[in-house]
Amino acid sequence: MAAHLSYGRVNLNILREAARKELREFLDKCAGSKAIVWDEYLTGPFGLIAQYSLLKEHEVEKMFTLKSGRLPSADVKNIIFFVRPRLELMDIIADNIISEGKAHSSRDYHILFVPRRSMLCERWLKEQGVLASFTNIDEYILDLIPYDGDLLSMEYESAFRECYLENDQTSLYHTAKGLMTLQALYGTIPQIFGKGDCARHVANMMLRMKREFAGTQNQILPVFDTLLLLDRNVDLLTPLATQLTYEGLIDEIYGITNGYVKLPPEKFAQKKQGEASKDLPTEPKKLQLNSAEELYAEIRDKNFNAVGAALSKKAKIISAAFEERHNAKTVGEIKQFVSQLPHMQAARSSLANHTSIAELIKDITTSEAFFDNLTVEQEFMTGVDTDKVNTYIEDCIAQKDPLIKILRLVCMQSVCNNGFKQKVLDFYKREILQTYGYEHMLTLNNLEKAGFLKTQTGSRNNYPTIRKTLKLWMEDANEQNPNDISYVYSGYAPLSIRLTQVLARPGWRSIEEVLKMLPGPHFEERQPLPSGLHKKRQQGENRTTLVFFLGGVTYAEIAALRFLSQMEDSGMEYVIATTKLINGTTWIKSLMDRPESQMP
Amino acid sequence: FHIRSSYREQRLEGRLSRLQSAVDEYNKAKNDFAAKATEEEMRLLRFQRKMDDEKGAGLLGLSLQATMEALMSLGLHKQAEQLYKDFRVPDKRYWWLKLKSMAEKEEWEELEKF
Repeated sequence: MAAHLSYGRVNLNILREAARKELREFLDKCAGSKAIVWDEYLTGPFGLIAQYSLLKEHEVEKMFTLKSGRLPSADVKNIIFFVRPRLELMDIIADNIISEGKAHSSRDYHILFVPRRSMLCERWLKEQGVLASFTNIDEYILDLIPYDGDLLSMEYESAFRECYLENDQTSLYHTAKGLMTLQALYGTIPQIFGKGDCARHVANMMLRMKREFAGTQNQILPVFDTLLLLDRNVDLLTPLATQLTYEGLIDEIYGITNGYVKLPPEKFAQKKQGEASKDLPTEPKKLQLNSAEELYAEIRDKNFNAVGAALSKKAKIISAAFEERHNAKTVGEIKQFVSQLPHMQAARSSLANHTSIAELIKDITTSEAFFDNLTVEQEFMTGVDTDKVNTYIEDCIAQKDPLIKILRLVCMQSVCNNGFKQKVLDFYKREILQTYGYEHMLTLNNLEKAGFLKTQTGSRNNYPTIRKTLKLWMEDANEQNPNDISYVYSGYAPLSIRLTQVLARPGWRSIEEVLKMLPGPHFEERQPLPSGLHKKRQQGENRTTLVFFLGGVTYAEIAALRFLSQMEDSGMEYVIATTKLINGTTWIKSLMDRPESQMP
Repeated sequence: FHIRSSYREQRLEGRLSRLQSAVDEYNKAKNDFAAKATEEEMRLLRFQRKMDDEKGAGLLGLSLQATMEALMSLGLHKQAEQLYKDFRVPDKRYWWLKLKSMAEKEEWEELEKF
């Protein structure tokens, strides 16, 4: 099931297995039949750790979604609540328990907090008078969830908002804890680099946690050579831009959650040939996307303009393979052909799926609106007229385009200009408030506080310097056969990834000046290894870096890092970890505040 | 803070007074833009109430742009024009709106006169 996790340089399946083991142990603690009541938010991430079959093996008979009122009836010995430590969820649980009353006095209740138990929640339950009803209160530490062979995410949605807006460092604590778990399984990471305030904070916590364990030496040969911690606010620009890789576009247009995408069903209807065509599926088509699918692994990180060619090439290979059967003469040959059939059929259906998806995306990317939007984005990134009010944005507001689109563009312009003149900023804000409503005042405040929107302060715009030094804009980006990471945005090389690239070679010392222009400190720490664990590196062996994005990472950035891993002369392989997989839209959304109006 | 609570206020008077406190806070914080925007919102709410009372237009709570749009579709062009002047709406956006509204109502003759 999870074979794709172990293909990579680092076998992430070890992490998944450890998580599964812990889950099994907890389930076995509650003897007898069980029903699980799920905090709905957790089901997605949990699906990546354990399928229903695993739960079933441990006598889980029923599963419900957490909601107030009476629990659905179930003839089980144990009821287990799987929840995040949030007060509003505690209220629902209390409500469940109270309305259940004495009906099932022989029943045991349990709570499993994910990822940490919280004193506050337990106090809350106590005040509601239900704490005593629970036999077990436990925590299930699930910080970093393996998403793919080289990708870990905490799926902690509000991390960016908490860190940069609310000054709440809970997510950083989870991050540090998660990294400690990782080190326990994969060995101490000897070198830590970082850039940004949050990165500094996480590194400090990690070093402190390590001192607390000073007595026990980790005897595992380190798998990772380097850890790079990057604050998202060091590079606010990249996620605002529209991603142009295949996977990035799927995410921009349809949204990928927990490795699944939901697509409009129309395109997938004709596949069922035998059935009557009148019952078109109305449910959205749900597809799992990860590198276990051979074809997807091949095309996910390509620039979308190169996907068509790759698909048609694949189609030719597959049909050629099917033609083989005419050449099969001996029984042995036929047998061999038949044995390959399931694999070939899977390949064919995966090809059909992706051709349909690519068609859907193409309809959008070839539209005028998409093109105009992209042109403006690229103008901003190259620094064209970023200091005055942009007429395209003005027109979009006048036509009441979706607010998020406007916010993405305005923020992008602000970031590329290192802030606006007061007059320009006020103009945009007024336009937005007058068109979309005064209630967005709070959102605008948030964006200002997080540094997306600002007024220019005395100093001149330093974005052009950063752009030139880090070569963020490449005129001749090759989309078909890329030779530089800028292919993921058709010209723009993500700043975050340039920083990573420069760190590997020639090192950050060469760009001191630029690093000083970006927010937050940059630093380097070393964690001493016990002697005997120093890796003896063989000639030509690649080093491995874990890059941790605090506050989110986009699929295009991941694609760029994978590209760097594959470059022959880079000598470095990357594993990516983050608090949340994001795109510009979900990111801005997490910063929006929308008071519910109750006016009659 | 005050803005959030203003949206929780069911009645208009309550909402206006919350917004007034927001204005005071913004003034104290020397946030001129926000103070002014909040004052404008209060003015808009009052205007909307007047229109609702007089014409039953159902405008309360809409954004300025949506208010003008609604007024136009009700044929209350004079009132829409008044808002455009009072709130110093940029010409471009106003003309867009006017064109759209006329096209929707298929007042092609009016459109010709432009």
